[in-house]
Amino acid sequence: MRSMTKLTAILTGLLFTHLASAQETSQRWVSAGGALTEWVVALGGESHLVGIDTTSQHPESIKSLPSIGYQRQLSSEGILSLRPNILIGTEEMGPPPVLEQLRGAGVKIEVFSAGADVTALQGNLKKLGALLGDEARANQLSEQYTKQLQGQHDWVAQAQLHQSAPGVLLLVSHAGAAPMVAGAGTVGDWLIKQAGGRNLATHTGYKIFSAEAMTGLNPQVLVFTDRAQNGASSRDALLRENPLLAATQAARNNRLIEVDPTLLVGGLGPRLPEAMKTLSKAFYPTDGSLNAKVSPAQ
Amino acid sequence: MRVILQPRTLFITLSLACLLAIWLSLALGPVSLPLIDTLRAGLRLLGLPVAGDNLQQAELILGQIRVPRTLLGLAVGAVLALSGVAMQGLFRNPLADPGLVGVSSGAALGAAIAIIAGASLGGMPPVLEPYVLSIFAFTGGLAVTGIVYRLGRREGQTSVGIMLLAGVAMTALAGSIIGLFTYLADDAALRTLTFWNLGTLNGASYARLWPLLMVCVLVILWLPRRAKALNALLLGESEARHLGIEVERLKRELVLCIALGVGAAVAAAGLIGFVGLIVPHLVRLIAGPDHRVVLPASALAGATLLLFADVFARLVLAPAELPIGIVTAFIGAPFFLFLLVRGRT
Repeated sequence: MRSMTKLTAILTGLLFTHLASAQETSQRWVSAGGALTEWVVALGGESHLVGIDTTSQHPESIKSLPSIGYQRQLSSEGILSLRPNILIGTEEMGPPPVLEQLRGAGVKIEVFSAGADVTALQGNLKKLGALLGDEARANQLSEQYTKQLQGQHDWVAQAQLHQSAPGVLLLVSHAGAAPMVAGAGTVGDWLIKQAGGRNLATHTGYKIFSAEAMTGLNPQVLVFTDRAQNGASSRDALLRENPLLAATQAARNNRLIEVDPTLLVGGLGPRLPEAMKTLSKAFYPTDGSLNAKVSPAQ
Repeated sequence: MRVILQPRTLFITLSLACLLAIWLSLALGPVSLPLIDTLRAGLRLLGLPVAGDNLQQAELILGQIRVPRTLLGLAVGAVLALSGVAMQGLFRNPLADPGLVGVSSGAALGAAIAIIAGASLGGMPPVLEPYVLSIFAFTGGLAVTGIVYRLGRREGQTSVGIMLLAGVAMTALAGSIIGLFTYLADDAALRTLTFWNLGTLNGASYARLWPLLMVCVLVILWLPRRAKALNALLLGESEARHLGIEVERLKRELVLCIALGVGAAVAAAGLIGFVGLIVPHLVRLIAGPDHRVVLPASALAGATLLLFADVFARLVLAPAELPIGIVTAFIGAPFFLFLLVRGRT
């Protein structure tokens, strides 16, 4: 019996020295937010990540990390099994009792804003930089982002001298069926406006519109995103499931633009300026000359 | 109906299975603890003088996560199964599940209001905040059941037939209001509601556990005392009356027990399907229809099934976690079908 206890003591001792050394050498981060994960990687913190949630889909290299499930349905013991020191996520992360248990277990929980505005993003980057100990790089990325948006803004202003802002709807659908329209307060709405479009939808959040209502608004450009498919097949699916859309100016002039659905989740991510540039060019197609003079979002 | 197991054998088997489930629920999780650490931490939690070196993690995982979770699973499983027996006895209908008197749909409605409109309600005292969802769900369940019961009353009598129809109508009404809230909800609230509808034992903490445990223990202690009356009710209402059972009082008690028990279980763990409907049938298939056996055996079987399902739910996708409602049906339904097919040949 005594030798047994001794053995266990040695074994547990070994286990804990192992744990301790792992904690000393590196921070262990779990990220529960798609855009946040992308920013951590952009700030050079990829090696800290030991777990991600299901909304973290970019970049490709992080997909091999263990998944902690959906950000609003986290499991306390599951996360603890990854032995993290820090859990980052947006205010959407939950449920609260699980966060409480994690806090009780000594995991530092850092909550970031999922708001679709630049101030929120700047705050997030500053905080991430401080946590990663690389504030200079965070500042640099933050400034770069602001600059990109400013360039974008100037480009749009120039383009609007020649052409008025097009009316746009952004549709999120699943294999084309029951599209939801992005309204105020969504990243989709922010994206349309930054790219120089006029969002025809005036409601808040994402709502299902009837095909008739969408056709009635008669958008000049349709931006769409599909959770199930991409490329030409998603575009075909959208038009097949919603034949009335064919009557809109957008479909008649073939101005349907696809965006990646993962861009629209969890606040402003690092890939948005690029997407914005593509959208702008599609919103103001006649401004090819302008493209040469003021290139957007560089 | 053929009795496969004698009551004594059944109780011994179920108790052993339940102990095994409790042990697994305490010993297994995404964090792999050495068995001996789990034991030592467990003994320390019981207040025994065991050396506590290097046990912080084990004590934390066991004390703060697995023990409350196991207690919650036991209570919820037992209460759901017991309420199922009570419902089927009350309605003398094998398809009756606790949802039929509107508890589940009322609770779901309460939860939907809390999840979707909660933010705009505002002004909640901070002490209550962690309980808002539970309080709304519990109140919703009680309120809808109360209405269904009132609708079933005619001239001092309770007509179970009318109650049944009123329950169906109230469920539909609650469903449409939930639908309206669903439409108004944003994406995030929608996901929360969906997951709530599938139930989980995740995040169980003592603070939220005690109110539920008290209600559950009351129901678990009370319902088996009415076993004889439920047996008499099996013969029919007037027959039971002739046997000296106060049928109206019995009905009132049963409805109250179901509303309290299921309301509390749903408030604490979300909607967990299957247990209330199938576990009583399972027990009856094995042990025959005597409520003196069926009631306590169902409580044991419900608790055991839920714990096994929970162990599975937390391990299969670790470090993520499956909603337990998916697992209960996934484990239980094939087993039930097996018993059905076996009973036929």
